[in-house]
Amino acid sequence: MTFVLILLKSILIGGLVGFAAGMGAARMFNAPNVQALGAFRTLGEMNACEGDPASHFSFGLGFFFNAWASTVGAGAFTQDITHRVIPNWAASALLVRNKKIEETMHDPKKMAFTSALIGIVVVVFLNTTASAIPKSLQITAVKVLVPAAELLINIVMPIIFWLAAIDAGKRSGLWATVFGGLSAMIMGNAVPGVVLGILIGKGVDELGWVKLTKIMFTVIIVLFVLSAFFRGFDVQMIESFKLPVPNWLDSLHGLFNVK
Amino acid sequence: MESMEIDKKSFWYSEWSFPILVGLMSAGVFAGTHMYYQYGVGAFNEVAIVAMLKAGMDGGSYGAAAAFGASFLFARILEGSLVGILDLGGSILTGVGIGIPAIMLSVGWKAPITNFSFAIATGLVLGLAIGGIITLVRKYTINQSQASFGADVMMGAGNSSGRFLGPLILISAATASIPIGIGSIIGAVIFYLWKKPIAGGAILGAMVLGAFFPISLK
Repeated sequence: MTFVLILLKSILIGGLVGFAAGMGAARMFNAPNVQALGAFRTLGEMNACEGDPASHFSFGLGFFFNAWASTVGAGAFTQDITHRVIPNWAASALLVRNKKIEETMHDPKKMAFTSALIGIVVVVFLNTTASAIPKSLQITAVKVLVPAAELLINIVMPIIFWLAAIDAGKRSGLWATVFGGLSAMIMGNAVPGVVLGILIGKGVDELGWVKLTKIMFTVIIVLFVLSAFFRGFDVQMIESFKLPVPNWLDSLHGLFNVK
Repeated sequence: MESMEIDKKSFWYSEWSFPILVGLMSAGVFAGTHMYYQYGVGAFNEVAIVAMLKAGMDGGSYGAAAAFGASFLFARILEGSLVGILDLGGSILTGVGIGIPAIMLSVGWKAPITNFSFAIATGLVLGLAIGGIITLVRKYTINQSQASFGADVMMGAGNSSGRFLGPLILISAATASIPIGIGSIIGAVIFYLWKKPIAGGAILGAMVLGAFFPISLK
């Protein structure tokens, strides 16, 4: 009975998540004109496969083994299911029939329905298979893909965005450097900061310091202050400079510690 | 990319459909957390992050999961509306999937997590709210002006970063073990001569040789 229940629930969950993952990913190719749901790494990796169905499939497959292992071991799908497996497999399925990425991978409607189907299959499969996958395949995938993806996300992407910002003009280069450095320290990855630097730099280039750009600048500062606070960066920073942490700051942190 | 005609009025591209999109995703992810809570399988997140929720479920504190998830969610909502891509991992998978359930469980409100239909509904409402906030923020910032805010710069950088993946996989395979390195070189060469991106060939080659010459994780 439990098996049937898990099966039925998995079909619904897989359909919902797959539909949204596919639609969100396809909308990324039209961002920022269209608000999308996805991740810069998904965007970069899907472009890396250059519209080749075999590449999309094998890229997804590598992470699928990893996700399967993690599900069997700990019950956790890993974020790769929504970030990598579903969008890449959906793209692969669509590209087999039509090579034009504008009519397939970039089309939210086609991606949504294909991804919903793939999501159902993947989630049902992961939730119902308790049997182990060949250990050697899973370890190879982990040992090869994970370090490569981490290098891409933590080193290569920040540098490319950074250099693009510097080439795009003095203002975006300046703010990308300031925010990129800060976000590498506070958020652990420089890409969000560099992107915000380009945003504010080009925004001011095109509009000047008007109300809109001022509001955006304030929001970015607030974003950094809040991220720093919730990640405990403020206390770490004060301690690193060998200064005493003020009592009010300590008690403020105590307030937000949900026990 | 600019060459494509986009009908911004249609459901698939419009601003108003974005909250629905986030709502569907959140409903599925929140229900995934329900699955994990009930059956121990099906959470849409990394082992390390799910472990924080697990710590609370096993009688410890939900504090870590709640603070981690909630701060991620908040930061990503601001970032997402400015950049045009809402980060799925931080906002939905970690924020809605881990942070919000942890807050609910920490105050003893278990119903949205233990009841499947309630979980779907809770996720849907949370997602609609998050998507709605982002759409509103966009309406008063990005959409009010004709400026591109450097979108072309970002898209260009996003596109070129993908090209690095193939060589990176080869380097990583080469350091994993000699057979895996050789397998990945052969795979990449075949794909290159076949005029395909080398990333796919490098992975497949590495996995084939890795199956015959297994390595250990540490």
